[in-house]
Amino acid sequence: MTSPTLSVKRISFQKYGIIIAFLALCALVSAICQIKVMQGVWPVNVFLTVNNLMLILHQISVNGILAVGMTFVVISAGIDLSVGSVLAFSGMMAASFATRSTGVTPWSGVYFVAFPLLAALFTGALCGLVNGLIVSRFRIQPFIATLGMLLAARGLTMAVTGGNPISALSPEFRWFGTGRIFDTLPVPVVFLAIVFALAWVLLNKTVFGRYVYAVGGNEKSARTSGVNTTSVLTWTYIFAGFLSGVAGIILTAKTGSAQTSAGTSYELDAIAAVVIGGASLAGGVGRLTGTFFGALIIGVMNNGLDILGVESFYQSIIKGALIVLAVIIDSRRQA
Amino acid sequence: MRLKLIGASLTLASSLMLSAAVAQADPVRVAFLMYGNKAEFVQLMERYAKEHPAVVSGDVILTMYDGRYDASVQNDQGQMAVNTMQDAIVINPMDYEANIDVVTMANDAGIPIVVTNARLNTTEMTSEVVSDDVQGGYLEAKAVMEKLGCKGNVVIIEGPKGGSGEIQRGEGNMKAIGECPEGQVTVLERKTANWSRAEALDLMQNWLSKHPGQINGVIGQNDEMALGAIEAIKSANLDVHDFAIAGVDGVTDALRAVKAGEMTSILQDARGQAQGSIDVALRAVKGADYQPESEIWAQYAGELSWDDGQAKRYDIPWTIVSNDNVDELLKDRK
Repeated sequence: MTSPTLSVKRISFQKYGIIIAFLALCALVSAICQIKVMQGVWPVNVFLTVNNLMLILHQISVNGILAVGMTFVVISAGIDLSVGSVLAFSGMMAASFATRSTGVTPWSGVYFVAFPLLAALFTGALCGLVNGLIVSRFRIQPFIATLGMLLAARGLTMAVTGGNPISALSPEFRWFGTGRIFDTLPVPVVFLAIVFALAWVLLNKTVFGRYVYAVGGNEKSARTSGVNTTSVLTWTYIFAGFLSGVAGIILTAKTGSAQTSAGTSYELDAIAAVVIGGASLAGGVGRLTGTFFGALIIGVMNNGLDILGVESFYQSIIKGALIVLAVIIDSRRQA
Repeated sequence: MRLKLIGASLTLASSLMLSAAVAQADPVRVAFLMYGNKAEFVQLMERYAKEHPAVVSGDVILTMYDGRYDASVQNDQGQMAVNTMQDAIVINPMDYEANIDVVTMANDAGIPIVVTNARLNTTEMTSEVVSDDVQGGYLEAKAVMEKLGCKGNVVIIEGPKGGSGEIQRGEGNMKAIGECPEGQVTVLERKTANWSRAEALDLMQNWLSKHPGQINGVIGQNDEMALGAIEAIKSANLDVHDFAIAGVDGVTDALRAVKAGEMTSILQDARGQAQGSIDVALRAVKGADYQPESEIWAQYAGELSWDDGQAKRYDIPWTIVSNDNVDELLKDRK
């Protein structure tokens, strides 16, 4: 057990460490852009514009939302490999209600939005429930349980339409991916903000949030001190599944098509964001602000490397190095 | 209860015998090895293969294999096809080199092997029924060049690096750009989005951010990526009609976008490839008497000749999708 003062100190270091890393990365990309401006290659620093920074938020919305659910799961000492597949399954379910390609539109107006949304959120939460029950009741390792769901949900996605994509989605539904509030703020960014805000309250200001930390820190002692660990774990996975549903809605609405290969390997980016953000895969440790900046760092990297014209394979190498580096720094700090 | 069951099984058995009697005495068994089944194009190929007249009539028993995007899985499935004594194998290979094994296995077993859609780096196969990717890449870039009047800045969104699609379509892209007067067209950027719409959306957004107001044309090496670029342009509040955009494949969404005047698509004929390869395989099994049954040979009369099914390579022609033919093509997608 660490003393309260020590843990407060560590957390604040964790918090500022990630922000410093984020600012350093931005400064680096921006500096390289500035050099190009000085060399006369570019007229302005294209990285450091309001539009581009808004774009980065837009681009991290899907991964950010998945990473919120992943943060809860990782803090509970678990992992959820199924988020990418569940995203695809939820998106496909939403699209099957939002499509106009069949020519039959039995409902209109508000139902055109309500049914797809409910279908996706219900599908996501249901997959999460299955994950949660397998982990908490059958005591199967989360890696295995969610690996099963990764395969099953991908298969179900294909089974819905026999492997075909669903397109021609209603404009009402597409608003969730392409709309702008007050003509400026992209809807996915608003969702990202709402999800982070609500999740922050859930994790830091409610009994459930405390229990998630407790279960992840030491499940046995949490149980003996009266926490219903089965229920906490189940709800944690339901929450992650539900957010995969939200992400599925946004990605499908953004691309305008539900594809069977959607979200493939997105779980890795979500885990990367959580780990870069300072959470420990051993459980009990992790913060949503860290995850947010972890997702931002990945977003800035993808955006910056595209802008700087770096080949995609170097992008992979840099991302890989960053993840390992983040964990090394974290483990040395905690040692 | 038991009587009922016996009755039911008797009916079942007799109907099975009946259908066997209706079909020819000895159906040809063809293994169709697809590299995967998670994209619209491969789904279309599968569908058209099953719609081949000989499959519908029961003359051919078709077994589809899903290679799960893994060359070694596909090699295992090739072995399985040999072991289960199929009469012919059609393969749409995942990998240019790694899947040559399937050709070798089939040749060792004396089974005709036809390669379709993608290429294999060997000449040992019975025949190839493919579309020339250099030509496809050329046609799409040509469409962009024509719309731009050979003047302006373009970006190229590439397929997975090192794949035959990326290399050959890229070659065709550059050939068309090279036909414009020198210095008139600049390729601002080229990078892969791995055939993915979502990846191309992010990539194009970043490019629009980097080159505000400078990009005039987008060459997507497949339709999905061109569609991703269209979404990116819309999300940046720009008018898609100000851009010259083209893709390859002719997936349904691209056909709809062509209809909306947003892009040009170069249709890769999934039916021509799937049904053509089955005809060539049947010719190899049944001998010189075999006449091709798919209507594609009549459809492409003059551009594509049957040559008694003996040619080493059949080039299924590309079709430029325009307002004139898009409705016809969309009708076929229901």
